Amino acid sequence: MTTTDTAAASDSSATALEEAVTSTDPRTLSRVWGFGGMTSILLGAVAALLVGLERLDLRSANVFSSADQVFQFWSAHRVALVLLGVLPALMALSTTVVPRQCGGSLVFPRAAALACWTWLIGAGMTIVGFLVDGGLGTPGGAGQRQATALTLMGLLLVVGGLVLASICVMTTIVSGRAAGTGLRDLPFTAWTTLVAATVWTGMLPVLAANAVLAYVDLRGRPAVRFGAEDAIWEQVSWMFTHPAVYVLALPVLGIALDVVASTTRTTQANRDVLLVATAAFGFLSFGAFAQTFFDTPGTPIREEALSVVAAFAIVPVALAIFGGLADTLRRGASNLGSKPPPETVLSMLAVLLIVVGTVVGALHVIAPLDLLGTAVEGANFTLVVGAAVLGVGAGLHHWGDEIVGPGGRPGLFLLGGLAIALGVAVSGVTDLFSGQLGQADFTGVSLAAAGYPDSGVDGLNLVSMIGSLAVLGGLAAWMLAGILHMVTAQNAREATVQEKGAA
Amino acid sequence: MASTIPTAPTRPRTLVVASAFGTGSVLMYFGGLFALYFSIRADAMAWGTQWYPEGAIQLVPGGMNMATLAMSVITMCWAVHAVLNDDRVHAMIAMTLTAVLGIAMVNQTVFYFMDIGLPIDASEAATLLFTIVGSHLVMVVVGVLWLSMLLLRTLGGQDTSRDRDLVSAAALYWYAAVAVYSVIWVGIYIAK
Repeated sequence: MTTTDTAAASDSSATALEEAVTSTDPRTLSRVWGFGGMTSILLGAVAALLVGLERLDLRSANVFSSADQVFQFWSAHRVALVLLGVLPALMALSTTVVPRQCGGSLVFPRAAALACWTWLIGAGMTIVGFLVDGGLGTPGGAGQRQATALTLMGLLLVVGGLVLASICVMTTIVSGRAAGTGLRDLPFTAWTTLVAATVWTGMLPVLAANAVLAYVDLRGRPAVRFGAEDAIWEQVSWMFTHPAVYVLALPVLGIALDVVASTTRTTQANRDVLLVATAAFGFLSFGAFAQTFFDTPGTPIREEALSVVAAFAIVPVALAIFGGLADTLRRGASNLGSKPPPETVLSMLAVLLIVVGTVVGALHVIAPLDLLGTAVEGANFTLVVGAAVLGVGAGLHHWGDEIVGPGGRPGLFLLGGLAIALGVAVSGVTDLFSGQLGQADFTGVSLAAAGYPDSGVDGLNLVSMIGSLAVLGGLAAWMLAGILHMVTAQNAREATVQEKGAA
Repeated sequence: MASTIPTAPTRPRTLVVASAFGTGSVLMYFGGLFALYFSIRADAMAWGTQWYPEGAIQLVPGGMNMATLAMSVITMCWAVHAVLNDDRVHAMIAMTLTAVLGIAMVNQTVFYFMDIGLPIDASEAATLLFTIVGSHLVMVVVGVLWLSMLLLRTLGGQDTSRDRDLVSAAALYWYAAVAVYSVIWVGIYIAK
């Protein structure tokens, strides 16, 4: 706590809101990151469900009025999950758990608070931008330019907040960890967060460059090229597809390794191999180069050797990490008892889904299969980001007492997590098949936009929509469990204060 | 007796490390813009399309700016060296000169772009030019503000050889700003 916080804490008239807004306490910031991130994930899941409903009939618009509206929700779902959802939820763990694992405290707490609130304001602007007919462009160019500009500004603030928070976390790990603790000695969550944050601070500024270029071209006059309504999404879409989405999964691998080691009370064999493998996973996740909008005619970047090799190389790396995790679980299984902790079950499922996601990612770059731009890309996104959501949830539950206080609801949490895992698997696998039947990633509201897929996709889209419904149900259960957890912890704190007062 | 007390292992300087990460992300931002610029330019050249209109980009303003910033690197080194030697007067002179050279660079660039005769929406090249140069101006202005704050600290006697991290961090950022401009100078003003 800083001097400001101490002063604020001593002021009994400060409300919870005032305390939250003015505090630089990492636990308070962590709650803002976590609650904001999980709310955005829920909103993203709602948008995905609506798009899933629209896909039930590919020939016409039923839920929405036009293809542009479908596109706004389709792109909002991806932005909400990645930049407004999973990354901030990971920051919730990075600001509390990682400094403790390093044996120190979060450096630059005021900068971390600035980052958190910048992100929150940016997230609000981005959501409002999408809701007022803006978003990140539309294929038909029917969106409102001012609203699109607002979305871009919101996106820039979101990126700024996330980069600043990443810098605080990285500096904490590199420079603020306890004396005598080497990087090799760090727990896996801290290690993978360091690797992932390095990749984030490399990729997010490139996304900001794309957004600034689009914004400059969009404002005040007819766009030359970059700010054209039908061109903005394609310039930033690399952030929401293979390989950039893998970096969301990286800290989840670290969380799973720590959770399984902690609950089985077993240390990993071949620790150095796992350190190298997780670093390699991060290296292969760097996706800022894969910008299809700027493809040289005749040489699409997704078909270049670099993209293809990276897509295949990450599969054995993910398998190696999964192997290390399974080995730890095998050796410590006897310590789990008859009812394994929910976070162990869910983190194992998350890593399994990541492995499946990397396999799907490798499949979709095989040129003869012609799967680029099909629903297989969506399947890759669903599996990897869904796994990241699952893993982040497992981490938040595992360290929940530290962030919020006592009072977790393991039963409700496990139920929600299993629904999410099942929904993600069902949606991902059905999208994989519908992509092979020729369905486009973005289906629009006509058969032509959907890529004239084979007849079997109608049934698959129904199953995929049911999967989305299961994900939404699971997330709702998690939100309920989280709110109950916070209420219980708050009541416990108040009871302690009253007991002290009475004494 | 102090020599008999074992010293605790020290960590790298926090401010400098954070500044290195921050500067790295700024460099990635410009790296992204440069990658787009050179990629689109190469495509345009390959198709035989005119990139900038003849005579639109003058070499002299870019060269003058480069010379100005090159001098500022020397004065920035001077500031760091002076702080290391606890030479407060020289540190203040060097920081003031660096900030003034930065302001001069901003002034020259603004003057040139008011007079350039190339509207921002003239072509893709013009949009990219304004975005890259505008972003770099923001970077330099942030550097000048940082130096002004350091100058105030130096006036108050807070930048010393024992407490020099903020100066080192600012120097790192400033060198990066000059490095970015050198790419602009070669890639835009000279290569056109």
